[in-house]
Amino acid sequence: QDILLRSSDTHPDGYPTVEAVKYMGELLKERSAGRIAVEVYHSAQLGEEKDTIEQTRAGVIDLNRVSMGPFNGLVPETRVVSLPYIFRSVEHMHKVMDGDIGADILSGFEAHGLVGLAYYDGGARSFYNREKPINSVEDLKGMKFRVMQSDIFVDMVAALGANAVPLPYGEVYSSIETGVIDGAENNFPSYESAKHSEVAKHYSLDEHLIVPEVLVMAKSSWDKLSADDQALVKQAARDSVAKQRELWAAREEASRKMVEDAGSQITTPDKQPFIDAMGPVYEKHVTDDKLKSLVERIRAVQ
Amino acid sequence: MISTTALWTAGAGLVVMTGMVAYQVYCRYVLNDSPSWTEPGAVMLMSWFIFLGAAVGVRENNHLGFDILLYILPRGGKRVLRMISDLVILTFGLGMIYYGLQLVQLTWNAILPSLGISGAFDYMPVVGGGILVSLFTIERIVLRLAGAPVDEGLELASPEAEVELDAASDITGTKG
Amino acid sequence: MELWILFGTFVTLMLIGTPIAFCLGVASFATVAYMGLPPLVVFQRLNSGMSVFSLLAIPFFIYAGDLMVRGGIASRIVAFAGSLVGHLRGGLGQVNIAASTLFGGISGSAVAEAAAVGGLMIPQMKARGYGVDYAVNVTSMSALIALLLPPSHNMIIYSISAGGKISIADLFTAGIIPGLMLAGALMITAYFVAKSRGYPTEPFPGFQAVAHLAAVAVPGLLLIAIIFGGVRAGIFTATESSCVAVLYALLVTVFVYRQMKWEAFVDATLGAVRTTAMVLLIIGTAAAFSWLMAFLRVPASLVAAMNAVSENPYVILLLMNFLLLGLGTFMDMGPLIIIATPIFLPVAQAYGVDPVHFGVIMILNLGIGLNTPPVGAVQFVACAVGKISVWRAMRSIWPFYGAGLIVLGLITYVPALSLWLPSVFK
Ligand code: NA
Ligand code: NA
Repeated sequence: QDILLRSSDTHPDGYPTVEAVKYMGELLKERSAGRIAVEVYHSAQLGEEKDTIEQTRAGVIDLNRVSMGPFNGLVPETRVVSLPYIFRSVEHMHKVMDGDIGADILSGFEAHGLVGLAYYDGGARSFYNREKPINSVEDLKGMKFRVMQSDIFVDMVAALGANAVPLPYGEVYSSIETGVIDGAENNFPSYESAKHSEVAKHYSLDEHLIVPEVLVMAKSSWDKLSADDQALVKQAARDSVAKQRELWAAREEASRKMVEDAGSQITTPDKQPFIDAMGPVYEKHVTDDKLKSLVERIRAVQ
Repeated sequence: MISTTALWTAGAGLVVMTGMVAYQVYCRYVLNDSPSWTEPGAVMLMSWFIFLGAAVGVRENNHLGFDILLYILPRGGKRVLRMISDLVILTFGLGMIYYGLQLVQLTWNAILPSLGISGAFDYMPVVGGGILVSLFTIERIVLRLAGAPVDEGLELASPEAEVELDAASDITGTKG
Repeated sequence: MELWILFGTFVTLMLIGTPIAFCLGVASFATVAYMGLPPLVVFQRLNSGMSVFSLLAIPFFIYAGDLMVRGGIASRIVAFAGSLVGHLRGGLGQVNIAASTLFGGISGSAVAEAAAVGGLMIPQMKARGYGVDYAVNVTSMSALIALLLPPSHNMIIYSISAGGKISIADLFTAGIIPGLMLAGALMITAYFVAKSRGYPTEPFPGFQAVAHLAAVAVPGLLLIAIIFGGVRAGIFTATESSCVAVLYALLVTVFVYRQMKWEAFVDATLGAVRTTAMVLLIIGTAAAFSWLMAFLRVPASLVAAMNAVSENPYVILLLMNFLLLGLGTFMDMGPLIIIATPIFLPVAQAYGVDPVHFGVIMILNLGIGLNTPPVGAVQFVACAVGKISVWRAMRSIWPFYGAGLIVLGLITYVPALSLWLPSVFK
């Protein structure tokens, strides 16, 4: 083996994204006759996403599977896909990201020392809480939800009449348990694996955020590869996407079943009033023409 | 002078940090409305006060170390070892400046969530701390070469010497 | 080769007396440079490793401890403890332990505790004819009670290092019985050592005096209820409780006891800055060091090696206890929790050990390491207060180590001691 590509992921071993990058490594090994190998460092062994993005940009590590959120401050195009309710469904998101718009957003990484390789599924994020089932926007009024450190999410929660509480992810479990906050928001696999389902039994499928995750490569590592190897890497990354989506769907289903069996109540509120409440968020965050046109293009995709 | 300023600034940082976290609890629990800047703000203040305080610690020679070999060796040998140690610390201090600046450059265009300022602010404490650590270490090296007793703090902790610290109040400030 | 450079540089620098923080930092720096990686990653880890909200608990609890010492909270607690147990054999030794237990319930840091209780008790014990080594050893070992009784910043660090899936409220509750067991074991040990050395007892001051001293100590002791109740009731998080402790200590010392003067406040603040800067710089450089260990796949190899030795959970736990005691001898507690938790916890869990239970084991185990040279912050503080060398304290500390190890063994093999109380609160 001549080339070892080190890849970071904050998710634990066995998670669909971790397995997809491992799969990509198998493909590469096979297709390069053993010259290229991929090694995945899962469970945030090399740091949180913000840190590993910097490490990738500096060429310390070669590959990185990251959420879109941490890129919002760096690559403005990624802000569009992080807008609440921008995608109507997971299928809509797939169509958009697999097409020209997805390619345009990937190219935005180039200016920051990164090569965007592929999009993975991150499922849909919804609210969950310890108090009561959420069936309407009114039910959210006055409740405290932990959100990620992102202005868009803080404003989204405010627009729904609830309070955003920025807390470190590691303190969420304890904080829900003791009632410092009423709940948080995430997809089924994280809700289940972070054990938040133990302390917050009400999950409401409002699906406010359907956001893909992204696999990036360090530009410096990319440039060291021959044109042939670059093509190999790109193709293997693309081929890992189908595998990841398949694993993701299975995992989501399994997690959902696990939390339901453990007593979580899942409600499905009407999404339209939630979407209607997002006016101020879009007004505040979709400011320049480039972002406006991206929003329109995404909405136009059927 | 620089050292006193650094220490007082760090102390003020600790007090402000206390205020920020208290404000966070107050807003969330009493007003039911959490400010999003207190957490990243307090963390950024903490990294400033750590680097400032650590640099002062270098000057005052009170960082925790394993100094058994220093007890056994004669005075001349001790001087050599302390000199090597100071050069090691100086290397690290210079690394903090040089690579801290690289990190500042790398993150210049990134915007920090909630604070809305450049990501470079995260790494400025590294550069600032590096400058102070380097300055204070050079000072120690120069003073030692000039024959000043800069390693006295060390003698205090030696097994046979009496530790001249009276109240517990002085201890928390100088050891562990 | 990379590992040889990493550990070789670290050990060499440590032997020549370079401060630990810089040993860790420069060893990482040298290794990264040898591997041809961009060295900026060392300084990124340094900064990210300490820029963690939960670590705020360290400066705050140390600051609160400093304020309590200078503002009269600690001295009133010692007086109250004296009236309670001073009449037992080795009276002032028992007072020391009782005071540590009470103070441990409001202090989140063993170092602050050793300084506080030791500063008040050791001079008194000396004056009454107790051996200084005895006074120092009782102080340093009973300071460890603060680690187990809530609040405890090390438990917060543990929960965070475990990925936040462990309830801090449960950890706090789980430490209570082990903390009291340690207090009991130390009191028994102190009794027998005092008996063999012929130490005196204090007269019992009468119930009226006890009641009076209790009343005077109440404002300080109320902090136990405020912190434990506040965290359990969801008013603030465990990290935030450290800040509440600072505010409450200020409130009591300024307005109730009226003992906190401007100079004392400044001293406490600057003292806390000095101490915490040192501790947190080590945590930062340890983050760079452990990043390299992860990069070089050390944890995975270690786990494989341990699995190869035995599959019996009791043997694995014993093995981990030995490894942790060994590591704790040479390293500081905070960084060690950060490095060791992601390595050991998955192994322990694979053998069916509850993460809350494992946390309590780890805290007490590494706590004992705070009392072992060459790196033993609590022991250094106690020795400095008693003005004796570490080597002199070491000569007669063994019965107290024995007490600590017996409690550690009980906690390791009887999970209910840790897990029963949290299950009651559920
Ligand atoms: Na405590
Ligand atoms: Na030790």
